[in-house]
Amino acid sequence: MYFYTLLAALLAVVLIFVAPLRAKVWVAASLIGASAIGALYLVVATLLGGEITLARFSTDFFGAEHITVDALSALFLAIIAIASVATVVYSRGYVEGYFKRFSAAHISLHYTSLVMLVVSMMLVVMSSGGFSFLFSWELMTIASFILILFEADRQDVRRAALNYLVMMHIGFMFLVAGFVLLYNVTGSANFAAVECYFKVAKPLPLFIIFFIGFGMKSGLFPMHIWLPEAHPAAPSHVSAIMSGVMIKTGIYGILRLLQAIDHDTELLYSIGLIVLLSGIITGLWGVILAAMQNDIKRLLAYSSIENIGVILIGLGIAAVGHAAGSNLIGMCGMCGALLHVVNHSLFKTMLFFSAGNIYSRMHTTAMNQMGGLAKHMPVTAILMLFATLAICALPPLNGFVSELLIYIGMFNGVSDGHEVLYSIGGIIALSLIGGIVVLAFSKLYGVVFLGSPRSTHVAESTEVDSQRIVAMALPAVFILIIGLLPQYAIRPIALVAEAVTGNSSVVAIGSFIPTLTTLSYVGVMLILVVALLYVIKRRAQLKRKIESGPTWGCGFTAPNIRMQYTGESFSEGLENIGRPLMKDMVDGRSVDKSEIFPSQHNYDVRHKDKVDSLLGQWWVQLMHRINKFVMRLRTGRVNNYITFALAFLAVVLLLSVIGIL
Amino acid sequence: MLVRLLNTLLMIVVALSITGVINRTRALLAGRKGIRFFQHVYNVRLLLRKGAVYSPTTTVLFRIAPCVYLGAAIIAFLFIPIADLEPVLSFHGDIILVAYLLALSRIAIVLAALDTGSSFEGMGAAREALYGALVEPALMMGLATFALFCGYSSFADIFSTAQEMNTNLTIVMLLLAYVFLIIMIIESGRVPVDDPRTHLELTMIHEVMCLDYSGIDLAMINIAGWLKNAIWAVIAANAVSVVMCFHWEFATPLAIFGTGITIGAIESLRARNKLSRNITYILTIVAMSALVLLTGFLLYQNIDI
Repeated sequence: MYFYTLLAALLAVVLIFVAPLRAKVWVAASLIGASAIGALYLVVATLLGGEITLARFSTDFFGAEHITVDALSALFLAIIAIASVATVVYSRGYVEGYFKRFSAAHISLHYTSLVMLVVSMMLVVMSSGGFSFLFSWELMTIASFILILFEADRQDVRRAALNYLVMMHIGFMFLVAGFVLLYNVTGSANFAAVECYFKVAKPLPLFIIFFIGFGMKSGLFPMHIWLPEAHPAAPSHVSAIMSGVMIKTGIYGILRLLQAIDHDTELLYSIGLIVLLSGIITGLWGVILAAMQNDIKRLLAYSSIENIGVILIGLGIAAVGHAAGSNLIGMCGMCGALLHVVNHSLFKTMLFFSAGNIYSRMHTTAMNQMGGLAKHMPVTAILMLFATLAICALPPLNGFVSELLIYIGMFNGVSDGHEVLYSIGGIIALSLIGGIVVLAFSKLYGVVFLGSPRSTHVAESTEVDSQRIVAMALPAVFILIIGLLPQYAIRPIALVAEAVTGNSSVVAIGSFIPTLTTLSYVGVMLILVVALLYVIKRRAQLKRKIESGPTWGCGFTAPNIRMQYTGESFSEGLENIGRPLMKDMVDGRSVDKSEIFPSQHNYDVRHKDKVDSLLGQWWVQLMHRINKFVMRLRTGRVNNYITFALAFLAVVLLLSVIGIL
Repeated sequence: MLVRLLNTLLMIVVALSITGVINRTRALLAGRKGIRFFQHVYNVRLLLRKGAVYSPTTTVLFRIAPCVYLGAAIIAFLFIPIADLEPVLSFHGDIILVAYLLALSRIAIVLAALDTGSSFEGMGAAREALYGALVEPALMMGLATFALFCGYSSFADIFSTAQEMNTNLTIVMLLLAYVFLIIMIIESGRVPVDDPRTHLELTMIHEVMCLDYSGIDLAMINIAGWLKNAIWAVIAANAVSVVMCFHWEFATPLAIFGTGITIGAIESLRARNKLSRNITYILTIVAMSALVLLTGFLLYQNIDI
């Protein structure tokens, strides 16, 4: 397997490097397209016919492993295929802007890593575990590291990329530890052996080790701090694929663990509780910080954290429901969570693509520089509005369907009297998340696209090339299909849910279908009613006098653009509540209350995550202290160094005499 | 079919009369004769006949937003039953859909307000978005309490199940009615959260978001406001009806007069909150709602045992 992977990688590298500058993207696109078609074929074949094993081999470290596509892999393969095709189609226009700034080799490296990222993600969800899983996991990390590092001449980019690499390797260590533990006890490091492990040894420690490892990738609180750093640094299409798909591989891992719990009620219960609680904390933390951000991509990054929280709430409810013996609650939670994985991959790619369109025209992602972009980039504005409504989980789009399923699960929990307290906790968290998401995204959309321009760059911006628009429209089609025809979209999801939980989904499907069918009618009805109202209004207005006049300034005769509401002022109310979660970084000085005629001021405030400084500071200080000690050894004299070498040899000798070495 | 028609007609009656009752109550308490009962309807009819002024800052979103605002409210309106009548639409889990339809109408009007580029409207939009976000858990917990006691998660099933009269249930349902009344006050921008009669844009919430709307658009926003009022009022009245075993012939006047007179009285007797106190006020209701749910849960456990 490694031989073939490396050979394929080498082939990709050679092809992309020798291609002429403008053709590189097409080479990458055909490679990714080919793997996406292959993946989609596997998806269909698996969903129709059952598991397909592609390869079997034995490794030196963990014994027999295989590359297999089952229902769960199929779901993830499908979202990887769709998002990666959209990403590579989008990347052409975005990367073209950098042709002058970077060498051809730099561009080639970028596309090679993109291909490697897609292939490694596909391998991650297909490998049975152990060495092949870790190998592709690491390949995925390195490929995404290089992708983040695209604008390597910016210092903040290098910092963020390094931060990412370090965090990912801490997570990797946990995964290695988990697999070694698994191998030691059961003699196999495949995910299938986890079930056996859970029966013979204490299950919770292994689960927590894996949970931390996977949680690092998916941005689980408090390991989420790499996300808001990495996304603003990475090019937008890279953020799109990382946030839309790559962080979901962490969820994939957690799902594999849940799959291994076989009707062990007590274990299922405690694991469900852990997952639910971490989902609630992650979701709330993510959404409050998202609403506070004034940078488009940081806001989107925090919103990804929040969505991971929503997915985990669904999984937690599913596990707790199954533990309580309710198949319906379990299926609702599981189907909701799985559908949310798909949904988030669709609208988050769209949102990051929109952010990329804006960045390539405005050359900044600071929201408070923008305003009124909808007039200059109308298509981007419409597509972004679409994605915004979808991520706010508003009917009739797809985000609502998945959240509805999770809610139904929890409301069933309440009304049937199963695990009422956990369901209530989930309901409170999810409704609060839902409310604040609306605040965060109406702020994002309103400040960026609506109102008057806050800087002169806005007037110069134009719509992006049609290829990027096509890339954005691809996820939009799926959003609409899932949103308006949920009764069909739920069937494959239920198949996967069946595979994960090991329970039959017939009863649950029987209860979903009427709900979702009515929902689909209501969705169409909503669109029709709105359209009808608009048509009636337009017809009535045809005969009336329609005037154009300036926005009502409440009698003030000299309003100017600087008085317009900014992103910061929009979320001011929430800031008072969310203050304990943040640490403000202030540049410059605000206007003092005693200044009657204020002079010119420069004031820039950024709301940093408190976890960031909590985790970051002691770590940096520790490194400083260790370095200070090590620096003392660096005397600059050759004789000292020879002494150190001698001392080292002496220690080795001593240790081997004692018999330790 | 006939039942559904009756339900819809009664809902429309509720929607049209609540504002009238509020105005009349306020006038009587202030010792005035008051305006005509249906004056607000005449005002809207007048607006429907007018042209419009649009700011050049706005985009097409500004013109679609009132349609979304009204459209979402209409669809939500169709899910609400009066006591044990049958609503037009109903499915398992529709209580969540109604909450999210109202969120859709909220985001439409918030974005429209930001579209004008006015700092006043931005202010209103920010407040509305925040209050809407904070009131959401209170709403969901209120609905969860219904689900807990009635064992269903659709409005039609919840209110059509006959309940055994007992003290515990009565207490919980009366508290729920109170919670939904306050939610109505918050969502429709009434005293003490907001004052629809204020003339100072700086302290407005709901009114300031519609500053730039005129003619048909403004009429649509007003109509949507009535529909939303009817939704909250009927849910609150239904909560009472469940324990009193009222049918629609009692529930309808209860929805109109119960909420109308209460809100009219509050508006006459109370001053509005300082703006910064509003968040505390809303969070108090969230806490209250959580308390009702937990109390309900404990009582429910007792009933079972």
